[in-house]
Amino acid sequence: MNYNKKEIKQGINIHNIKTNKFKTNLYAVFLAVPLNRENVTKNALLPAVLRRGTSNINSQDLISKKLEEMYGASFDCGVEKTGDNQIIKFYLETINEAFLPEKEELDKKCLELLFDIILNPLVENNGFKPEYVESEKKKLKQIIEGKIDNKRTYSFERCIEEMFKNEPYGLYKYGYVEDLEKITPQNLYEHYKEFIKKCKIDIFVSGNLDDNIELNEQKQQSNDTETEKSLNQMQANSICKIIESNKHIQELAPRKPEYIVNKEKSEIIPKREENTVEEKMQVGQGNLVIGLSSNSQMENEKYVMSVYNAILGGGANSKLFQNVREKNSLAYTAGSTFRRQKNTIFIRCGIEIGNYQKALDTIKEQIEDMKNGNFTEEDMENAKKLIVSSIKGISSEQDTEITYYYGQELSDSFSTLDEYIEKINNVNKQNVEELAKEIWVNTVYFLRD
Amino acid sequence: MEIIESLKLKEKEYIEKLENGMTVIIIPKPELDKKYVIWGTHFGSIDNRFIMPNSGEEVFIPDGVAHFLEHKMFEQPNGTNSLDTMMALGLDANAYTTNDHTAYLFECTDHFYEGLDELMDYVQHPYFTDENVEKEKGIIAQEIKMYDDEPGWRLYMNAMDCMYKENPIKIDIAGSVDSISKIIPDVLYKCYNTFYNPSNMIMVVCGNFKPEEILEEIKRRIIPHQKQGEIKRIYPDKEKGINKPYMEMEMEVSLPLFVIGFKDLENNSNKEELVKKHIAIEILLNMIIGKSSEEYKELYEKGILLSEPDMDYEFSDEYAHIVISGQSNNPEKVKEKIEEAINKFKEKGLEDEHFNRIRKKVYGDYVVEYNSVGDIARMFLSDKMKGINSFDYIEKYNDVTKEYAETILKNVFKKENMVMSVVKSKKM
Repeated sequence: MNYNKKEIKQGINIHNIKTNKFKTNLYAVFLAVPLNRENVTKNALLPAVLRRGTSNINSQDLISKKLEEMYGASFDCGVEKTGDNQIIKFYLETINEAFLPEKEELDKKCLELLFDIILNPLVENNGFKPEYVESEKKKLKQIIEGKIDNKRTYSFERCIEEMFKNEPYGLYKYGYVEDLEKITPQNLYEHYKEFIKKCKIDIFVSGNLDDNIELNEQKQQSNDTETEKSLNQMQANSICKIIESNKHIQELAPRKPEYIVNKEKSEIIPKREENTVEEKMQVGQGNLVIGLSSNSQMENEKYVMSVYNAILGGGANSKLFQNVREKNSLAYTAGSTFRRQKNTIFIRCGIEIGNYQKALDTIKEQIEDMKNGNFTEEDMENAKKLIVSSIKGISSEQDTEITYYYGQELSDSFSTLDEYIEKINNVNKQNVEELAKEIWVNTVYFLRD
Repeated sequence: MEIIESLKLKEKEYIEKLENGMTVIIIPKPELDKKYVIWGTHFGSIDNRFIMPNSGEEVFIPDGVAHFLEHKMFEQPNGTNSLDTMMALGLDANAYTTNDHTAYLFECTDHFYEGLDELMDYVQHPYFTDENVEKEKGIIAQEIKMYDDEPGWRLYMNAMDCMYKENPIKIDIAGSVDSISKIIPDVLYKCYNTFYNPSNMIMVVCGNFKPEEILEEIKRRIIPHQKQGEIKRIYPDKEKGINKPYMEMEMEVSLPLFVIGFKDLENNSNKEELVKKHIAIEILLNMIIGKSSEEYKELYEKGILLSEPDMDYEFSDEYAHIVISGQSNNPEKVKEKIEEAINKFKEKGLEDEHFNRIRKKVYGDYVVEYNSVGDIARMFLSDKMKGINSFDYIEKYNDVTKEYAETILKNVFKKENMVMSVVKSKKM
C-alpha cells in the first residue's frame, strides 16, 4: 500500500500517499469539528480571513506573489460538510521538482507557507485585522445569498435542509447572514484560538516526494525488498520531518478531538409522513429533488445501499435515466446520489414544470420496482462494475485519493481501496431486495415558477 | 509513426496519419491506471453551411444539428443505446459538442477493448428514424431550457453577440427549441456522411498503451470508407469591427455577472505564432487582472470583486477573442480598472520582475494539465482541431519575451475592440 499514517501528537496526524502518477505534489490540511448552529458561520468565515494574510506575509497579493514565484503553486481553502462535521480545508498544489525548467526546492517552502497561513495569522489588538474581517464578512454574505444563483444546487441544498430540519446536517455549510453582524475581529480571533486547540488536525501529503536523491539511487541499486522497504521508510520520514520540525506545528498541543465519528452502521430515522415542499421562483425549468431514507439495520448496509443507488439512478443504465429520460422524455438530467455518511439517497431531475406529477409518478414506480425485486442479475453486475470502476479511479486523482483516506480517517473502520472493492463485490441481489423494502420517501422538494 | 518528445514534461506523443486520412495520436502513460480514448470530428455548431464533397450539393442546416447528431449517434438499430452498453461495462462514457468539433469518449480502468469495440462501432453506424429523431426533441428541449436558466450561459452568448454581427459563434450550440423542431433524419444523414468521414476525424488515446499495439487495434476496427475530397465550409466574411460595445439583461442572480471581451482581429493563420501569442495573452491577462495585480488588489479590497475573474483566449480559424468573466456589484468599475492597467502597461512597458514571475506561473499552469488521462486527451484533441500540437505550449514558452508580449498587448488589447455583457439582478 502506498499509504502511511503517523500520529505526531494526540489528535494530529500526518498521512503520506506516495505516488508517481502526477506532475504535482499536493498538500492538504483538514481541521474538523462537530457541526453546530452556534459556530457554523464563524467557522465558515475563518479560512476566508486566514487566507488574507499572516504575521509574516501580511496581505493577499504578497501571498499570491509568493505562489507565482513557485511556478504558480495553487493555494485554495474552503469549508465542507462531511456527515455531521464541519471541515475547514486548505490545499496547496505545486509542480514536482522533476518538471521544473530549473532546479529549485519547492516542498519546504510550500509547507512553510501553508502552515504560516493556517497557524500564524495576522493579529492586531487581540483580534484579526479589522479590514480583512469586514470585507470577508461581506463576501460570505454574498456567498450565502448567492445560493439561489444555481437553481440545481439550490434545490439540492433546500431538500437537505428540509429533510434534516433541526439537525446538524440540515445546516448550510457557509452559515447564516443573521450571524454575521455579531462577529467582530476580536470574538472571531478568540473563537479561532479555541478552534485550533480543539479541532482534529489531519495533514496529507501526496506525490513523488523523495526529496533525497541519494535514497533513490540506493533503491535502484538494491535488489532485496527489505532494504527497499527501509529506504522507503526513510523517505517517508523525511517529508514528515519537515512537517514535524515546523515551528507552528511544534507549538500545537495534543488534543482529544471532538468530532463525529462516521459509523458503519447508521441510526434509524423514525419513519414519518412523506414531506412535500414546493417553492416558487422565476425559472423556466422545474427542479425536483427527492430524499430517500433507509430503516434497514443490515450488516453491510452502506455497500448494499451504494449498489441500490447505482441501479436506481447511478448512470445511463439506471432505472431513473432509462424511464424518466429515455422512455418518457421528461428530463435531460435524471439520476440519484448516495450520501454515505447520512445513509441517504437524493434523486435529482430537471423537468418541464407541467410534467411534475408524471415525473413524480414515474420516479415512484421505479422505487416500487426496486421493492418488488424488479431488477436483474445483469443490473446487479452493471451497478457493481460502475462502482468498482470509480473506486479503481480514485488513485488517478490526487485530491480524490486524499478525500478517500480522509473519509476512512473519520470513519470507525478502515478499508483499503481493494477491501472496499471486495465489499461491493460481495453484495448480492437478495441484499439489495431486502434493503429496498426498508427504503422510504422522506422528502419531496420541487422548485417551480 | 512520428514521435514527438517533450524533454521538459518527460512525455512522448506518437502521431500517425492513416491511409483513410484519419489522424491518431497516442500519449502513453504507463504509470496510470486509467485509460482514455476520444474520437472527434471536425464538425461543430459553427459549421452550418457547407458543400458536400461527393455530390457538390450546398447544404444549409438548422441551428443545433451537430449537437443533435451527437445525441442520436448512441441509438442502435436493435433498440439498444451505446451509452448504456458502455456504462454496463463500467466505463465512464460521454460525448460533447463545441463550436468547432464533436467528440465521443470514454474513460476506464478495465474492459478498454470491449469499450473500444462499442465506441468505434456506434460512431461508424448511424441510425436515424423519424420516430427516434422526434423523441430526442423533447430531451434536447429540456437541455436548452436548462441552459436558458443559467445566467452564465446567457451572459456569454450576449458577449458573443456584442463582438460579432453574423459569425456563427453566436449560434447556441444546442440550437433553439424552434430550430431543432426542423431537424429530420435526412439532414442528420447529410451531415453524418460529410463530416464523419475518417479524413475529417482525429482520435486521441492516453493511458498505459504500447503505441504500435493500440494503433493496430484501432486500425482493425475501422470500416473501409470511400475517400472524400475536402469539405468546403462556407462562413460569413470576416467582420472588421465589433457589433455593439454593451449589452445587459436581467435575471434572478444575487450579484451581477459580467463578461469583458476583446475581439482579436489579427490574422492567426500561422499556428506556431498563434501558440506564442496565446502564451503571451495568458501572461498579460494575469498581469492585468490576475490575483497579484494592483488592480485586482484594489477591487478585492473594495469588495468590487470577490474572486479572481476567469480569463480565456478562445479562437478558431473563424473567430478569436479574449473573455474575462466574473461577478461584481460594479462591473463598470472592473472594466475601468482593466482599461487603466492596459494603458499603464502600454505607456510604461512591462516590469521585468512582474513579467518573469507571471511567466513562471503560466509555465506551472501548463505542466498541471498533464496530471490526468482525460485532461491530456481532450487537450490534444481540441488543440489538434485548431492545427496545434499541445506540447508547443511548453516548447515555445521560452520564445515569449517581454518585448513580444508588449507587441501583443498593443495589437490585441484595443479599446475599440472591447465589449461588455452584464446580467443584472432582477429586483425581487
